[in-house]
Amino acid sequence: MTRHANAAPLQGTGGVDALVAEFVESWRGLEGDAWIARGGRDDVCHAIGEAVRTMVGDGGPETRRRVLAWATADLASLELPGLLAELGCEYVPWPSGSGGGAEVAGAEAAAPTAAGLLNLAAARDIGITTCSWAVAETGTIALYATPATGRLPSLLPTAHLALVRPSQVVKTVADGLRLLADHVARQDGPPSAVNLVSGPSRSADIEGDLAVGVHGPRRAGVIIGDW
Amino acid sequence: MPGELPPAGATWAERRRRALADPAMRAAVAKSTRNLAAKKEAAFAAYPAGEAMRTRAVIARRGSLARVDALLDELTRQIEARGGHVSRAAGPADVGRYVLDVARRRGVERVVKSKSMATEEIALNEQLEAAGLHVRETDLGEYIIQLAGERPAHILVPASHKTREQVRALFDEEAARCAVDPPTGDATPELTAFARRQLREDFLAADMGISGGNFLVAETGTLVLITNEGNGRMTTSLPRVHIAVVGIDKIVATWIDLADLLQQPALSGTGQRLSTYTTFITGPRREGELDGPEEFHLVLLDNGRHELLGTEFEDVLSCIRCGACLNVCPVFRTIGGQAYGSMYSGPIGVVLTPLLGGLDRAPELPKSACSLCYACGDACPMEIELPRHILALRRTEVERSMEPWTVRLTFELWGRFWANPAGFRFTGRMARLGQRAYLRDGRLQGAPGLVGGWTATRDAPPLARESFHEWWWRRRRASGAGT
Repeated sequence: MTRHANAAPLQGTGGVDALVAEFVESWRGLEGDAWIARGGRDDVCHAIGEAVRTMVGDGGPETRRRVLAWATADLASLELPGLLAELGCEYVPWPSGSGGGAEVAGAEAAAPTAAGLLNLAAARDIGITTCSWAVAETGTIALYATPATGRLPSLLPTAHLALVRPSQVVKTVADGLRLLADHVARQDGPPSAVNLVSGPSRSADIEGDLAVGVHGPRRAGVIIGDW
Repeated sequence: MPGELPPAGATWAERRRRALADPAMRAAVAKSTRNLAAKKEAAFAAYPAGEAMRTRAVIARRGSLARVDALLDELTRQIEARGGHVSRAAGPADVGRYVLDVARRRGVERVVKSKSMATEEIALNEQLEAAGLHVRETDLGEYIIQLAGERPAHILVPASHKTREQVRALFDEEAARCAVDPPTGDATPELTAFARRQLREDFLAADMGISGGNFLVAETGTLVLITNEGNGRMTTSLPRVHIAVVGIDKIVATWIDLADLLQQPALSGTGQRLSTYTTFITGPRREGELDGPEEFHLVLLDNGRHELLGTEFEDVLSCIRCGACLNVCPVFRTIGGQAYGSMYSGPIGVVLTPLLGGLDRAPELPKSACSLCYACGDACPMEIELPRHILALRRTEVERSMEPWTVRLTFELWGRFWANPAGFRFTGRMARLGQRAYLRDGRLQGAPGLVGGWTATRDAPPLARESFHEWWWRRRRASGAGT
């Protein structure tokens, strides 16, 4: 598996840098792809292009790569539609009717049927999300389900790409759960679903031999950077 | 109320004979158990924090069990406040009835399941299929087992006794049945690709998802589900109805308790620091959410668990189903899981099967499926005293006179003779006389009864011509120092 680090090696050993380095090492150890893009917005956009090409190929002019992304204001600020069009990808945002910056261009007007939604997500090559926090020690990202941040974009497409801000990386699972506990206290309860994801889907059910991509995404990538 | 487990099927002698006559299975089991045991050791060695968490997790589990009823009430309040439904089930029939009720009300025809020991325990698939539902196991190992019409042979890796050739043959048959392309070969990626394609169809068409649960967090009413493949996420995200069937023993009080527990199944089970997917489910989908189940039901399964609270066996309920005790057990490594005649195999199965299903259901397990080597007691991350429990169950069998009278008489006489030196010496002299007819080339062979059974597969040196006592006294007399 090819892995790219398109930024200079990390500087320093303490604080955020050390956590980011440990997270990337853990994530790659789980057969995940990681790109460090800490040079700002342009660097992150460049890394998205790199990640899409690496994880699902460019498809060529005949079969455009299909991308599904969370409909959050945070992701919208990256102007994904234009960026992905430049990459020759077909882009669909998560069709959440309410909340979280759904004013993204190309959003479907009416809420789709349940079956339509499943098929929409299952037919995508790659799902792009952000995350709520990440764990250095275990190579884990946390995804909270809300109207704008559905469960399917990180589950049904062939690949999943998550954007992680360096400040979101904590040391241990317990540190992450403390952040979740803060959320629980503020919101009067946990989200309907929280998924901790540590690399791509895997199984060792056939003769103990590791297989990647059983039900969930075959490839799982992270981009670490601010935008 | 005692619980109820599916019958063992064949007799112990038959199951044991079948297992010992299957070299392919035994080689596969020996390989996978050694592999998993080594991964566990390496994982803890490289991660000291895991051991510190484990110690705290044991305390958290014991503490939760001490007030399980209050915690279950809190859990129920929390789930119901978030629009979920909670039901208590005493045994298999209660669960079946509840699930079928929901299925009928919601017009469910197709069910997908993620791996769950609780639903194995109550043979839920059989109950649902008898009512005409289509049920599909979606964990890769469970899918293989379902196609083979077998029971899981290992708590964690249910198809670890199957070779890739056997898996391919099962997939070929399934492909023919469904009129789809068979796997392109028997390499792991090819077999996995076939299963992924087939099971995707099942997931997208399913009306109901049934899962188990690794933990329940009382303070927020949260179900914790741990998988590596992602089938747990699929089962709980795609169908419009989700029913979780979870033993009451899975409850913990707080997220602080959970933080220490969460990595333990992975560390002790597969040697990972955390399983690939950990899912926290709190009620059904919320207002405005487009995906996730419209209905969430939790069925709390008792099936004999309550009866263990407050007994010497209570710690068995803190089991996290990691399979570590199976992987180090010399009996399990030799005969594999299916010989146990229970979904719970290995040392935990030897204890849990009679405790949940009654000692009459599996008297052979404590009696015969353990060599008292104590490896399981050392391996258990929850510090369950498995060897002590196995001895206690043996003692109960003796107290209830469950042995044949011949065996009881033999042990009674043996006990009496060996209770004093004269009796001990007498049996030695008798044995020396008795063994004469069975000595071949200085070894014991072909003796009747227990001795013959022992020497059929092992060497047994004969008793010496003169015992140590006799030698000692002869020397003392010869040197004139004797009394």
